[in-house]
Amino acid sequence: MTLGETQALFHELVTGEADPDDERLERVFRGSGELATYERIGIYRGMYRARLVDALRETFPNLVRFLRDDHFTDLGEAYLRRHPSEHHDIGRFGRRLAAFLLRHPDPARPDLADLAALEWARNEVFFAAESAAAAPETLAALPPESAGAARLEMAPSLRVLSLAHDALALWRRLEGGEPPFPPIPGPSAAAVWRRGFEVFHCSLPLHEAAGLKAALRGASLAEVCSHFANRPDPSAEAHGALAGWFAEHWVARVRAPGC
Amino acid sequence: MALRRLELGHGIGLRTKHFARFEAEASPVEWVEAVAENFMAEGGRPIALLEKVRRDTPVAIHGVSLSIGGSDPLSDVYLRDLRRLVSRIEPALVTDHLCWGTYRRKYVHDLLPLPYTEESLAHVAGRVSAVQDLLGRQILLENPSTYVAFQESTLTEWEFLAELSQRADCGILLDVNNVYVSAHNLGFDPLAYLDGIPPDRVGQFHLAGHSNKGRYLLDSHDGPVAPPVWNLYREALRRFGRVPTLVEWDERIPPLEAVVAESRLAAAVEADELAPALREAS
Repeated sequence: MTLGETQALFHELVTGEADPDDERLERVFRGSGELATYERIGIYRGMYRARLVDALRETFPNLVRFLRDDHFTDLGEAYLRRHPSEHHDIGRFGRRLAAFLLRHPDPARPDLADLAALEWARNEVFFAAESAAAAPETLAALPPESAGAARLEMAPSLRVLSLAHDALALWRRLEGGEPPFPPIPGPSAAAVWRRGFEVFHCSLPLHEAAGLKAALRGASLAEVCSHFANRPDPSAEAHGALAGWFAEHWVARVRAPGC
Repeated sequence: MALRRLELGHGIGLRTKHFARFEAEASPVEWVEAVAENFMAEGGRPIALLEKVRRDTPVAIHGVSLSIGGSDPLSDVYLRDLRRLVSRIEPALVTDHLCWGTYRRKYVHDLLPLPYTEESLAHVAGRVSAVQDLLGRQILLENPSTYVAFQESTLTEWEFLAELSQRADCGILLDVNNVYVSAHNLGFDPLAYLDGIPPDRVGQFHLAGHSNKGRYLLDSHDGPVAPPVWNLYREALRRFGRVPTLVEWDERIPPLEAVVAESRLAAAVEADELAPALREAS
């Protein structure tokens, strides 16, 4: 066998794609003493599953609290079978768990996908790059005729989530060690960000979340503000929201037209 | 080119559980080892802490995902992140494992053993050279703990490592606990292993705890160094002399003081073992 063929078999055995009693086992591997070859392979197989599910446990502590250990292990192993790790950082293994839960929802708890999305975002911003915070005066200093074409460069440690349930309330209950509410359906949005080394999240009005998402996409300030157009006082609300974004250090830089 | 052995003394692994202590205080040990993948993110607390620690204390960057023995091409993304980390930290040592851990770009996050053949040797030596060229420095490869061997192996692990270190001009991170665990699990003589390692290639020792699972030993890093591993460490010191030594503790991690105490115990064992040689030299 070539090195590649040997590793293909080993990989199949470790990940469970091949059975431990595969007839190739004894031809390729060698044990000694009282431990059979399939038991030796089983050590690697057990560690593979345990290590990756443990990585998920660290990333999704409140999902673990909700599901309890056994059910979380079942979920983690099902997820692992569908989405083997594709990144050298094991901490990134859970990046598709929220989407997996959306595709395979627990009918009684469809809000778990949103909880996973929130926990993943909290994990992601923890490791995001540092950035400067733009001063609010930067915006005020723009000439009025060009302000609409300016663009906001948002902090790399900011995420905006669109949710189908109130995952923030569920997260808060679980974080506090309290029993969870039944699912609270309804579209909602949340911002997740880091200040120093501390991670925060808060709910956002849907129009503000849409404006923030536009800013994250690099849209012009005019387009960002257009998401407030249907509000009772669009200008005041847009200004109020923008002031909040600067105050929370979500804006790293203001790029004037032509810059 | 020979391996220049550094005088780092005794260190411990930098683990999340102890971050707050390292943030607030000076390093309690002579050097620390950081698992590369845990510090590759562009921002956040881990890399900020590592930069702080690095200002006063030598750091070794210890990778677990290079997959130097893998049949997949080396990952450009991994090498980019590793190179960025190495440039940022300027570590005293860059190390990884003699193993593989990816197949068709899927990571198993384990240190899987290789068949020790001429094919593997040529494959790994070429990849080590490529990595060293990219980083512009030598790397050290660590012997893995193993639970299974291969029918087609024609070399022992120590023969493989010795030859690899010459061909690729790399160093050896000799994990004394791994030698002991693999020797027990695969039925070879750990002293023969030590005898087969070229002393001038050994640039670092690892010590760690293991668990006795009845019919095999598990390299669990979840407790103090076991007595027979201390004995093997003494044997290693006799053969290789004073080598930068690091205590790893990754599961059921105790308070910082306990890990530091284990590192100081290693320093005491080293002093005790090397004292006659030092007296003779002076």
